[in-house]
Amino acid sequence: MINNILSFLIFLPIILSIPILFFKAGKDKLIKTYTIAVTIVVFILSIILYFGFDASKSDFQFVEKVQWVTDFNIFYFLGVDGISLLLILLTTLIFPVTILAVWNSITTRTKEFYFLLLILEGSLIGVFLSLDLILFYVFWELILIPMYFIIGIWGGKNKYYATVKFFLYTMFGSLLMLVAIIWLANYATPMIGKFTTDYTELRKVSIFMPLNIQMWMFIFFGLSFAIKVPMFPFHTWLPDAHTEAPTAGSVILAAVLLKMGTYGLLRFSIGLFPLTFVRFAVPIAILGVIGIIYGALLCIAQKDMKKLVAYSSVSHMGFIVLALAGMTVESVQGGLIQMVNHGLSTGALFLFVGFIYDRRHTREIADYGGLTKIIPIFASLFLVVCLSSIGLPGLNGFVGEFMILAGSFASPNLHNNIYTILGTIGIVLSAVYLLWMYQRVMLGPVENEANRNVPDLNKREIISIIPILLFIVWIGVYPNTFLSKSEASVKRVIENVEAAKKNILNIY
Amino acid sequence: MGINYFLILALLLFSIGVAGVLLRRNAIIVFMCIELMLNSVNLVFVSFSSYLGNSIGQIFVFFIMTVAAAEAAVGLAIIIALFRNKETINIDEINILKW
Amino acid sequence: MLTQQILDGLSKFYPETILSVTILVIVFVELFFKKKTRVSGWIAMAGLAAAMLFTFLQVNIPAQTIFFQMVAVDPFSYFFKVLLILSGFLIVLFTFLSDEIRSSEFKTQEYYALLIALTLGGFLMASSVNLLMMYLALELSSLSSYVLAGYFKKSNRSSEAALKYVIYGGVSSGLMLFGISLIYGICGSLDMFAISAYLSANPVNLITLLIAIFLMLAGFGYKISAVPFHFWTPDVYEGSPMPVTALLSVSSKAAGFAMLIRFFLVAFQNAGHPTITTEGLHQYITLPGLHWPEVIAVIAVATMTLGNVVAIWQDNLKRLLAYSSIAQAGYMLLAFVVVSPQGISAMLTYLAVYLFMNLGAFFAAILISNKYKTENIEEMKGIGYRSPLLCVSMAVFMLSLSGIPMTAGFIGKFYIFSALINNGYIWLAIIGLMNSVVSLYYYIKILKNMFLIRPQGDTGAVSFGAGYSVLLLALAIPTIVLGIFFGPLTKFAEYSVQIFGLK
Repeated sequence: MINNILSFLIFLPIILSIPILFFKAGKDKLIKTYTIAVTIVVFILSIILYFGFDASKSDFQFVEKVQWVTDFNIFYFLGVDGISLLLILLTTLIFPVTILAVWNSITTRTKEFYFLLLILEGSLIGVFLSLDLILFYVFWELILIPMYFIIGIWGGKNKYYATVKFFLYTMFGSLLMLVAIIWLANYATPMIGKFTTDYTELRKVSIFMPLNIQMWMFIFFGLSFAIKVPMFPFHTWLPDAHTEAPTAGSVILAAVLLKMGTYGLLRFSIGLFPLTFVRFAVPIAILGVIGIIYGALLCIAQKDMKKLVAYSSVSHMGFIVLALAGMTVESVQGGLIQMVNHGLSTGALFLFVGFIYDRRHTREIADYGGLTKIIPIFASLFLVVCLSSIGLPGLNGFVGEFMILAGSFASPNLHNNIYTILGTIGIVLSAVYLLWMYQRVMLGPVENEANRNVPDLNKREIISIIPILLFIVWIGVYPNTFLSKSEASVKRVIENVEAAKKNILNIY
Repeated sequence: MGINYFLILALLLFSIGVAGVLLRRNAIIVFMCIELMLNSVNLVFVSFSSYLGNSIGQIFVFFIMTVAAAEAAVGLAIIIALFRNKETINIDEINILKW
Repeated sequence: MLTQQILDGLSKFYPETILSVTILVIVFVELFFKKKTRVSGWIAMAGLAAAMLFTFLQVNIPAQTIFFQMVAVDPFSYFFKVLLILSGFLIVLFTFLSDEIRSSEFKTQEYYALLIALTLGGFLMASSVNLLMMYLALELSSLSSYVLAGYFKKSNRSSEAALKYVIYGGVSSGLMLFGISLIYGICGSLDMFAISAYLSANPVNLITLLIAIFLMLAGFGYKISAVPFHFWTPDVYEGSPMPVTALLSVSSKAAGFAMLIRFFLVAFQNAGHPTITTEGLHQYITLPGLHWPEVIAVIAVATMTLGNVVAIWQDNLKRLLAYSSIAQAGYMLLAFVVVSPQGISAMLTYLAVYLFMNLGAFFAAILISNKYKTENIEEMKGIGYRSPLLCVSMAVFMLSLSGIPMTAGFIGKFYIFSALINNGYIWLAIIGLMNSVVSLYYYIKILKNMFLIRPQGDTGAVSFGAGYSVLLLALAIPTIVLGIFFGPLTKFAEYSVQIFGLK
């Protein structure tokens, strides 16, 4: 089983989602218990994977490779390295936590909801584990379908608009990616000697392609990732999708779906086109910085808590983009850990917004005030999450942001440290908008009488949030548990970039 | 006489046919215009056949005549069915289906 | 000698002969039944099954022409025969299950005879190698489809659709005939191989030839409903009985494609030159200086863009499917631009998956109109919860038509775009994919109405008989399975690329 653990990770949730359809309608509790049991089993599998993973190797491990399409040499090819390992852990952690946290918020069509959730989990894991471009593309697209329904059926007022926008935006990007995949494989055919979409084969030859062709392929790939991240100016789908989605949808969207974009940039854009990435490092960094600052400024202006958290995602993902543009071991490691951090902190922020929304059915900041006295447990845990998102030393956000800034400051690829300096403003702004929101919602006198009788977090909610808090502190205090696993793989990526640079000097 | 005269005549007939289809509003006249197009094609075939000295073109003409008859039969039957329903064969008034 | 050749031809003509006999039997049997009956439907099915059997017996027959170079028997026509029979078979079943036809007061005997005639016409269209034969085959299938479109004599919409169909059909066959006569004048022959030989050996006036090609394209374009010969499509699709619409959208389109491919590749190949293979790319060698692939490219782009853009505004499901089928024809034409075996096999693959997904979509539409008495998308709100199986299948068909992975439609698109990119038509591929995004908008609009909006008024479950569900699954399961295991299908398509007379 340990040899096929990756397949199990992907297909366990997908296959086990089918029995849900045969449960009797109305047996909500049974369905929920079943779903959470499945996701916990998947989480345990990913823990096993974590311990089985050899951190000293930079190669892909637990590789599974079976021919899928013979005449095109497309493979069912899975493998895990340090980069995907962390994201797998994040994904498998977020699912049970979310399901437990939103236990009672889904009241209609429960069966379908949990069915789609499990499909979503399986295909998300598939995205992070695929090492064949077509397989990757298949999982990448597959995610759209459950997400379309999750937003569209259980969403808020503008759900139709939001879900169609989400679908079309993502589809636009991913179809360009499909062109790029076929083009790349086709262009590589004479170099490899056969048409194949095997990532490990393609990355050996892709750097030798003419630069202008690389550039187009890079843009096609990059556009689809940029939309998913989302990078400025492709971010406009995100606030709509986030605010309209049900809490569980928002959490998963923020915590995991956005990581697909940055993961794609790291794995495919840098992995396949290192030189082009170096050439475009500065514009990418600029877009990242614009995202950081623009997102943060928009946050300050928001009156709706969920929208605020949604825009804060734009800002935080900007850091990760900056980190990748920096392309040093530290910055990329920082970017990677920041992906996990963002998943934890923003996911938790959405959960808290969901908690309070379930109680009061409003997300307007102005409707709240002085909640600290009424719901102290909520207030204190919420504060921890806010601080983690801001990047307080000792919590996870600090580690990631510090590494990103330190790494990109010294980056030879950016030629200039102005981007890093501008990025720092983002941290200050994030403190402004999050603390200001916290102040308006939690502190001060209770002005709205309707808030008087809000119940505090119950045991279920506390239990659900504890794992996240645990990891928030853990990464903040001892990030090495995780960084050590990814170090070799990240180093390998950066070495490839450096080698490619040298190579190109030899060629020209 | 050169072949050109025949071809030009055929082209004229064909153009009259096409113009008729586009301009006339009576379904039966439209049908007659389609027949005119087919007959001008027949003329082309016959004149090419005689010019090239092979008989294939003339054989084709027989088939076109047969098919045209069949097409006219089907077309007129449809026009009658429509006339029974709508009491008109004016193409402008046949307009339930449109985008 | 002459008799010998005819007898020899007949021995390779069993499927067609069986279909002709079936038509006669149905017409004859009709005389003995005064009331409505399904007997002729069963006869039609038996005839199709027998034709299928005899087609299968031809599987390894060497490519050849019969009846004095009128009809080719080759893997290419074999592929289309299988496709057409499959589609005919499903349409007969659709007719059995369609309330629309069952409740009409008309006898259905002629209906089945015409259906078989259309299939027979399609057979001949796919295999004729002589322009005369091609024209007759085209007319055989057209004449049957005119009558089928107007089958509900008393329905305004049906007879209006038929009239429009017959007028557009008449005009385009007239244009096509004019084109044929020009080609005959240039080459002195109607045989495709002789045309190719003549054009390769003698310098001809390319302008005249191009005009002839354009005129012929009117005939082909009308059959496959390519822009600018598509005007009849939405009206006829909307007005005709639904099973007929499904038949037109698959059988007659597939036959049109077969004819188009064979005519262009055989008649305009550069006969003097052997096919060359460079860098693993195998391409057909066409006449120098004759830029028909470019013409096809323009038509393909126009077709899919128009189909997709106009489909966005449609509220009637049948009309939407009509525009969607125009767009689908555009995708298939894209692969033809490549003029290589890879492109043709991509087209054939796409046609095969299109058969399942499009017939599936039409069958789902038939069931919706049976049970909910509506063709309007806006009135389908929330029916996903009232008949889940039906609507999930519909979702599968819609997603497949738009080309989402894990469905057959993705494989079809993947092969088409691979062929394009392989041959350097990257911009064409991008235009095609952008079109897919547009098409997604209207496909998911249907899903939105079915699943995302709550049902209004009556919310009770609406279920179907077992027969309906089985047929629905028989279409939906291949649509998914072909998206994952498509090896046999693509192998079949690659094998079927062998057109007689082409290397």
